[in-house]
Amino acid sequence: MLAIKFLIPEIFLSISIFSLLMIGVFIKNSFEIIYRLSLFVIILIILIILSGDSESIKIFSESFTIDRFSLYSKILILISTFFVLLMSKKYIVDIKNNKFEYPIIILLSILGMFIMVSSNDLILFYMGLELQSLALYILASIDRDNIKSSEAGVKYFVLSALSSGLLLYGCSLIYGFTGSTNFEEIANSKDFNVGTIFGMVFILVGLAFKVSAVPFHMWTPDVYQGSPTSVTSFFSVVPKAAGIAIFIKFMYLPFRDVLNQWQYILVFMSIASMILGAVAAIGQTNIKRLMAYSSIGHIGYAIAGIAAGTENGFKSTLIYISIYIVMNIGAFACILLMKRDGKYVEEIEELSGVSKNHPMMSFGLLIILFSLAGIPPLAGFFAKFYIFMAVIESEMYTLAIIGLVTTVLSAFYYIRIIKIMYFDEPKKPFEKFVDYKIHGPIVLSCVLLVSFFIYPSILNEIVSNISIF
Amino acid sequence: MIAHALFFYFFSVIAIVSAIFVIVSRNTVHAVFFLILDFISIACLFIMIGAEFLGMMMLIVYVGAVAVLFLFVVMLMNVTEQKSSWFRGTKKSNHIPTGLIVGSVILLELIVIVGGWKYRDTFSETKFLSFDKEFTNTHAIGNVMYTEYIHLFQISGIILLLAMIGAIVLTFRKREGVKTQSYFKQVSREREDSVELVDVEFDKGVKFDD
Repeated sequence: MLAIKFLIPEIFLSISIFSLLMIGVFIKNSFEIIYRLSLFVIILIILIILSGDSESIKIFSESFTIDRFSLYSKILILISTFFVLLMSKKYIVDIKNNKFEYPIIILLSILGMFIMVSSNDLILFYMGLELQSLALYILASIDRDNIKSSEAGVKYFVLSALSSGLLLYGCSLIYGFTGSTNFEEIANSKDFNVGTIFGMVFILVGLAFKVSAVPFHMWTPDVYQGSPTSVTSFFSVVPKAAGIAIFIKFMYLPFRDVLNQWQYILVFMSIASMILGAVAAIGQTNIKRLMAYSSIGHIGYAIAGIAAGTENGFKSTLIYISIYIVMNIGAFACILLMKRDGKYVEEIEELSGVSKNHPMMSFGLLIILFSLAGIPPLAGFFAKFYIFMAVIESEMYTLAIIGLVTTVLSAFYYIRIIKIMYFDEPKKPFEKFVDYKIHGPIVLSCVLLVSFFIYPSILNEIVSNISIF
Repeated sequence: MIAHALFFYFFSVIAIVSAIFVIVSRNTVHAVFFLILDFISIACLFIMIGAEFLGMMMLIVYVGAVAVLFLFVVMLMNVTEQKSSWFRGTKKSNHIPTGLIVGSVILLELIVIVGGWKYRDTFSETKFLSFDKEFTNTHAIGNVMYTEYIHLFQISGIILLLAMIGAIVLTFRKREGVKTQSYFKQVSREREDSVELVDVEFDKGVKFDD
């Protein structure tokens, strides 16, 4: 009975999902109410988590962990979901997708992520993963009359189900060879033989697919482009945070003693993702597709931190992913502003000369893009800086050098957008509207990115208290 | 023991052969039937290793529900016309060699693993599952399902709920202009609502307002 109190965020989330569902069923055209209530629920859960104590404890026969790491990830997930949901409202209503299920499915997917980041057991981990990915399949195809959205949904479903299958196969191998599904016991079983390593590789494949690291990234551009922009902004932010969190947990908890086995795999994934993210994005004309490649590149940097294999390594990854979330929320809020003649446009060319008509928006996008490119003194620079510090500490100079080179390469396409915005011929202005729900996140994101260098240790201090072991 | 081995090989051969036929058979209905055969023989294998609960679940869920559902879907689609065009490639696919190479590499790696396979003699103690001969495994599962694994059970429920919501979101369409029966309206109709008593004066006729 005492254990229940540690589960309050999850229980509260589930109960509110059920109640929202009931409200949605019985009240007609209830998108507005459900939307507000779900924002309110998210804020309440943030408060519940912050007000609870952060001692680390394992419940349900040690299959569910509550510690600073999982709480940090949960708050990251909640805050990013809050902003994504906040800014996507106008878009959802504009494309007439205001079904009341939309916020509920998003809440269900965060429930899955909660379970995933807290899991200390292969079975529980898999259930959380399935809950969140099932919600994501539905979200990808939620604009069902749009053929691209349906295509994105089907593509994501088929590929992701395949990767889940591989992951499950890996789990079964690990259970067979170590005799337990519990992370701690897997780590403690001393004989890691080739079978366990094989299982670990399969799990790595599944995880890499979920965070879209090369060579399992093929779905990302198509799904990002095909899904409605509001869903794309969710995809590029929230599942990435949860995926990276569980990635860290897997590498540092059950497989911590076989660092020499997974380190090279992660280094390869990281290098490949950074290079692909930098090179393949150059030729893109669609801004959502470009953001997809950019997110592949950023995941490469995040994995570089994990690959360092040290405590500083995963902490730098946590910092990286937090700053990445801030940047991506801002960037997608700007993309959601690109509306002309009642239609949302997605081509980069449409941004041409936008600084003449929309100086504030283009200035915000400028800051965010500079930060994505990693130009000092913006927060994106510090994120990359910590990663490279951790990587160099563990003497992986090749990884660091390739990372630096790809940073320069990827700066090209970010700055190309800035050039298009500021120096090209102005086109017809976008629709002018002031919506604090969209402009608020942009302003907040820019302020955070610009002011991060004043006191960068604030995030460090939060993260430095986190430990997984 | 020999009978056991014979049955094992009998069912495994059926399972493997029917699994192959699921893929190669050109007629979708046949493929589904082979799938059902595959499920049944796997259920038999489960029962042979003493996991009677899993075997029965396999029969009820996969054969009873999933496969029949497949069959329904396949029969609802117009298979007879399209089956030849579906399964005949329009042009020579160049994915097959790549797939074969990757597949055989993975197969070789699996052989390496199975070659070195050593079952752990002691599966680490799961505190709650007792390997007691007295218990049937239905009983053993029942003991832990709602106690130690209650969270997993509940989460599966939420996953199913989400699947249901998803199916409704993606397929439900509100149709306009459909005349549906309203029981409430029908039952709550009073006599006064529809019957009007008119005193008709002699030789004047009746005049309605509308």
